[in-house]
Amino acid sequence: MKLYCLSGHPTLPCNVLKFKSTTIMLDCGLDTTSVLNFLPLPLVHSPRLSKLPGWVSKDGSANLQKELKECAGRVFVDSQPEFCLPERELLDLSTIDVILISNYHCMMALPYITEHTGFTGTVYATEPTLTIGRLFMEELVNFMERVPKAQSATCWKNKEMQRMLPGPLKDVVDVWAWKRSYSIQEVNSALSKVQLVGYSQKVELFGAVQVSPLSSGYSLGSSNWIIQSHHEKVSYVSGSSLLTTHPQPMDQSSLKNSDVLILTGLTQMPTANPDGMLGEFCSNLAMTIRAGGNVLVPCYSSGVIYDLLECLYQFIDSANLGTTPFYFISPVANSSLEFSQIFAEWLCHNKQSKVYLPEPPFPHAELIQTNKLKHYPSIHGDFSSEFRQPCVVFTGHPSLRFGDVVHFMELWGKSSINTIIFTEPDFSYLDALAPYQPLAMKCVYCPIDTRLNFHQVSKLLKEVQPLHVVCPEQYTQPPLTQSHRSDLMLELQPPPMPYRRCSVLNLPHRRRYERVYILPELANSLVPSEIKPGVSLATVSAVLHSKDNKHTLQLVPKPPPVAPSKKRKRVLEEPPAVLAPKTLLSGAVPLEAFLATLQNHGFTEVKVEETADGHILHLQAEDTLIQLEEDGTHIVCDNNEPLRTTLRDLVLRFLQKL
Amino acid sequence: MDRECALLLPGVCAVLAGSGSSLPDDTSLEKLLDWFTGITEDGGSLLETCPCLLKLISTVVHNAASDPGVLSFTLRLTGLLAATEESFKTIQEHPVLNKVFNLQHWQEAGLWEDPCLRIGWIQGLRSMLQHPKALSFFVQSGFIDPLLQLQTDTSLFIAEAANQMLAHILLFFQPVPPAGCKGMDKKEKGDGMTPSSADYTAVVKSISGYLKESLVPKESKNVRQSLQTLKLLALLLAQAGPPLRDKLLQTVGDSLEELVTAGSSELTLPLMDVILSACSSSGTDERITRLLSSMLNINKPADLIHAAAAFLRRGHHDTVHTARAVRILLLPLDIMTGQTLLGTISTDEHQFSVVEQLKSKSSCISMICVCLSNTPQITLTPPDVLPCLPVSIVTAVLSLLRICSGNSPSSSTGCSEVSRNVIGSSKVQKCALEALTTLTSSPGAKERISEVFTVLIQYLENPDSDPTVLHKSYQALLKWTSVCTDFSFITDQLRHDLVEVVKKRVCDMRWEVKDSTVEFLGHLAGVCDSIKAAAEERDASEALLGDCSTTPLLREALQDSESYVRASAISALAKTLTHRWQQGATLTEEEPEIVSRLLEILSQDSEGFPRRAVVQYFISWYSSHSPPSSSSSSSSSSSSSLLMQSVRSVLSQGRADLDWEVKVHTLVLAELLLDEAFSGHPGYKKGSDSHHASPHAYGVVSEQAYTLHTHTATHTEGAESDLAVVVEQGVVSVLLSGLVDCDRPVALKACRLLITLRETVCPLSLGALDASAAMATVSCELPGCGWGREILKILKMKKSDQAKEEDIADQSGLNGAEEGGDSVCVSVCEALRSLGLDERMEVLTQSSDHIHNSPLSLLQDILTASATHTKPGEEVIVDCY
Repeated sequence: MKLYCLSGHPTLPCNVLKFKSTTIMLDCGLDTTSVLNFLPLPLVHSPRLSKLPGWVSKDGSANLQKELKECAGRVFVDSQPEFCLPERELLDLSTIDVILISNYHCMMALPYITEHTGFTGTVYATEPTLTIGRLFMEELVNFMERVPKAQSATCWKNKEMQRMLPGPLKDVVDVWAWKRSYSIQEVNSALSKVQLVGYSQKVELFGAVQVSPLSSGYSLGSSNWIIQSHHEKVSYVSGSSLLTTHPQPMDQSSLKNSDVLILTGLTQMPTANPDGMLGEFCSNLAMTIRAGGNVLVPCYSSGVIYDLLECLYQFIDSANLGTTPFYFISPVANSSLEFSQIFAEWLCHNKQSKVYLPEPPFPHAELIQTNKLKHYPSIHGDFSSEFRQPCVVFTGHPSLRFGDVVHFMELWGKSSINTIIFTEPDFSYLDALAPYQPLAMKCVYCPIDTRLNFHQVSKLLKEVQPLHVVCPEQYTQPPLTQSHRSDLMLELQPPPMPYRRCSVLNLPHRRRYERVYILPELANSLVPSEIKPGVSLATVSAVLHSKDNKHTLQLVPKPPPVAPSKKRKRVLEEPPAVLAPKTLLSGAVPLEAFLATLQNHGFTEVKVEETADGHILHLQAEDTLIQLEEDGTHIVCDNNEPLRTTLRDLVLRFLQKL
Repeated sequence: MDRECALLLPGVCAVLAGSGSSLPDDTSLEKLLDWFTGITEDGGSLLETCPCLLKLISTVVHNAASDPGVLSFTLRLTGLLAATEESFKTIQEHPVLNKVFNLQHWQEAGLWEDPCLRIGWIQGLRSMLQHPKALSFFVQSGFIDPLLQLQTDTSLFIAEAANQMLAHILLFFQPVPPAGCKGMDKKEKGDGMTPSSADYTAVVKSISGYLKESLVPKESKNVRQSLQTLKLLALLLAQAGPPLRDKLLQTVGDSLEELVTAGSSELTLPLMDVILSACSSSGTDERITRLLSSMLNINKPADLIHAAAAFLRRGHHDTVHTARAVRILLLPLDIMTGQTLLGTISTDEHQFSVVEQLKSKSSCISMICVCLSNTPQITLTPPDVLPCLPVSIVTAVLSLLRICSGNSPSSSTGCSEVSRNVIGSSKVQKCALEALTTLTSSPGAKERISEVFTVLIQYLENPDSDPTVLHKSYQALLKWTSVCTDFSFITDQLRHDLVEVVKKRVCDMRWEVKDSTVEFLGHLAGVCDSIKAAAEERDASEALLGDCSTTPLLREALQDSESYVRASAISALAKTLTHRWQQGATLTEEEPEIVSRLLEILSQDSEGFPRRAVVQYFISWYSSHSPPSSSSSSSSSSSSSLLMQSVRSVLSQGRADLDWEVKVHTLVLAELLLDEAFSGHPGYKKGSDSHHASPHAYGVVSEQAYTLHTHTATHTEGAESDLAVVVEQGVVSVLLSGLVDCDRPVALKACRLLITLRETVCPLSLGALDASAAMATVSCELPGCGWGREILKILKMKKSDQAKEEDIADQSGLNGAEEGGDSVCVSVCEALRSLGLDERMEVLTQSSDHIHNSPLSLLQDILTASATHTKPGEEVIVDCY
């Protein structure tokens, strides 16, 4: 059993598991933090961005004025943003049989894998994962394609050049592997390979293993996966949550008795409690609105936003914000809000039961009805005519590099009465804000990450008791900035196996058993004999038939009846009759009893010597040795066949025959 | 006992003797007993006044079918009857005494199993054992052994009562009453009271023997007995005089030592209690001192900490042991925070075991909390006992607070394996904040004030802080602000952080947090006022919050959806503005808006709290505003006119409120107006009731001195115009409507004020003609319905009483109101005189249940209940409430 680790990002995993004869890719996360090195893509011409000075090295030796721009002491690439893909050289990705997706955040690299590697397998995901994942991909493509960049910067990626660059750009690795966004055709083609599954549905892979998704409680349709054969069980835990938000609660009990548990997607904010952050979010929002300012919330178009809206739904009345408009701007805003209401079976019990009332599960329906929440595909069109301030705007992308959020940053950044509240934990807010400096706007960081924290995960692991745990190396030590917080790491016995990008782990579990079926006819012919109470044995002669990873013992085919022949010659050519199998012996030779027997048979001069494996009996008069060992007995006598036979028979008296 | 009761009692006795099942409710027997006890305590002899009781006893005791409750009552009654030597003799002449307390009798009857009877037995004996004769009876009847058995009874109440009883016997009959002996009436213990020493010795012998035997648990299941015994011993040692104490210590000394050595966790605290009691009564007994030392050296860290805390709580002044206890309590803090509080640490082994203990989360939290709650006291111990400066302890508490919030710098030297147990624990946070609040009074603590503020502001900012933690942080901040004399340490950054966090917290999602924040702003304004009073140059509010005005935040909070927050915001606003009012500052633009919002709340809010707060706001304003003088500026008078205008609406709104507290507050406001109107009149007594003695939290009483009018001749004329003003303000209407209010506190307050008013403007001592001549002109209008009609009814009744005497006269003036509808004008003076205020006052001052709570009514109840009970099929429902 081997694990190939293609991504080093603990919450955007991409691993490949080789298990029995299958090759399974676990998640296909796309590391988008690379876009932070790029300049934002403005929706309308931004004089500020276009006036940024080009970068020239101090000694003037490197001139990349066209590709790199300087802003507030940092250098950004002026080009279409690029993403850091999963590792593609570690193994041949065309050999992958299936890809299991755990949630819509962890499938964004799918087109890169399915379209350009010769992949011919199947992708398994739940329906909400596919639907919302598609929305995310379409949104990304839309963000990129509606403001095309004329130029594509490549010179800076030159190794010689990169060495001279300042700051974070100098240290980024594998820049040549960075890729621009995929196209909508690629998205459609990639998603056409997805096969939908429901929770606990069992999918057979070539008869060798069975995979099955379990609810993980993190987002709509998010799942953990069980990958098992008859005798081995591997659990893949990715992005799970024990909090009661909107999704169906996590199925923990099915993870029990795993031989190996692969653990990824823990919270990125172990010190930020989601409840506390939600509270901060609301109070900062209210504070800004009361002071007459606007609030900008850069966010993804699905997920936490549902919880934020629900929380605000309850909060706005108590905080007297009833008249403040809320805007949700995204190319997929409408679909996201509507889809969330129809995935009833994937919601938590509380919300499911509302469907039967009938009532929309999420209160954002009511916010929309009462005109408190309005959604638009972009800032162009209807939005501009209805735009009223002060207001709250939810829009993407959380990296602040593309999407409508760029426009609001330019619009509101100069005034200190406005506030930007970061709720997505994927990007460092300081890095996200870097190309907007100097910035007067107030910034509040309330990362809401509902995934498991270390406390919860150690409780979970105590409960499900896997034999071995595999996890990203980041989880095996406290965070760099808080090295004294020994509570912010995984402490397990035996210690977890850490992995990093490009690791290949030999998982410690050894396969010891394989299930073999026996045909009833064959089973009927067996004659078991009891060798000790409760244990019976029988010898089997059969043909082992293996097909589709199923092994069956079948009757030995009888030799075809020989046509009667008169020729003597033919008789000689008859196949030799199948010899009756030799009887099998079992049991051990008890030393004392054996010596007594020898004595009875006239072997009086016996010298016993103890060895590591048993005993050596030296029959001095006969000059013969008998070696009694655990799994064998040797009689050494010089050319005295009658003596050997006598001794052999004496030994056999103590053994059972099958 | 009055005649009526004495007449009814035999009947009641008959009912009780018959069967207890017909009692109106299960408290009647207790009430009866209370009544009897009262009579006995007043020196009456029940035996003489009610011979029927003795008959009752003998009937009940001989009736095997008696209800256990009645039996228990009988036992206790017997004890009560036999409480004096004389009556004891009388009872002893009857054969009943032996029978009543005869254990064997009850056991054979199978009634001893009933806990009701056992407790009756103990309490009966307890009442009886007030004289030597009783003790002799007790000893001779061999009751000591059963009593000792009851000490471990399955019922906790019985076990406790038995313990008390045992202590009572030993202490009460001590040969020489010790000087400081409490808990008994020495008058009763005349010379003749000394029990025969043989009886007492016997009792002492068996009890102390028992103590010695039962102190050390033989098996683990006997721990309860040891616990009980330790409790008893602590009771005894705390009060015993020297001979008894020495005797006890001599007997149980070995067993105590054995217990200390055994070191059972369950027994640590009670054992410590015993040793400390012995310590405080015996002073420097070597053996006790040794025991104490061993207790402060036991091996289990958690027990040791509890023992040390118990020692410190008792406040002994024994330097050696105090030093030891202090070290024990500081060690966990030392380990966790890495602050060297102890210099060199005593024994590595001990430290090791403490660290091991602290590694377990639950015991870590409980140990740290004990240490923290003792830190304030530790800092106050003499410097030669403390292993470090008191200020280091403040520093340690601050570090602990940082660790708890996960903010501790990684360079801290504390044990990380231990400190992770307290990260995020709100229990420890609360304990530490409480400790920090109390530590303000520690010597040298103020050196750390800047650090304290930083940590507290961090706590306020922390998104994960529990609402109660935030509340405690605010309290600590206020306390530290109030002791601070120099605010120069507050940097701009600190100020900015505080302002931002307060602004954020008033918008919090949790109403508790909003409430604490609003409350904090109010209290801060209060602190600032007291600092100003101390002639402090710098304003604390300004120092803390800079030029950020809190009024807009509070005004926003007036709109809150939670009524508690609205109420807190109103009182905080009052505190914030008090200073301006006192100075007679000009009216700000926002004040009229606030006032109109407040009046809106008073008239419309569905919750009582904000409405009460509104009335209190105006009480504060009224009592702290400086009355307009001729020289006052026009702006100040505009403030005054706004006040007077709104007070008028508050009075009329508050009068009609549904909440009785709002009405009482309205009366307080009315009283302030009366005070101001009549303060110069010689007849006026300010402070009609206890209101001024204990001023209400919001009722700031102005300190203005009233100058007495010297022209007595003009006083009635002055009073007349003042009365007219008061009527015009609506004060009289408030008082009159209050008088007929169905809520007693309202009616009582109104009645008192009306009497004060009457005494001022038309005292009864003055002839009716005299008064009416002067005051007849002032009248007030009564509405034709509601309270006005009620008042009119009273007046009419009084009038018709008079009319009977004076022949029937014209009543047309009052008749008009009979049918309701039109309002009527009545002369204030006449009304005051004829409302019968004094009789009303008498009725109102009696508690509302006085009629139903008299012994007579109790006896009647019992009789009635039994009468109805005998008629089958009729269910009696008695309101026991």
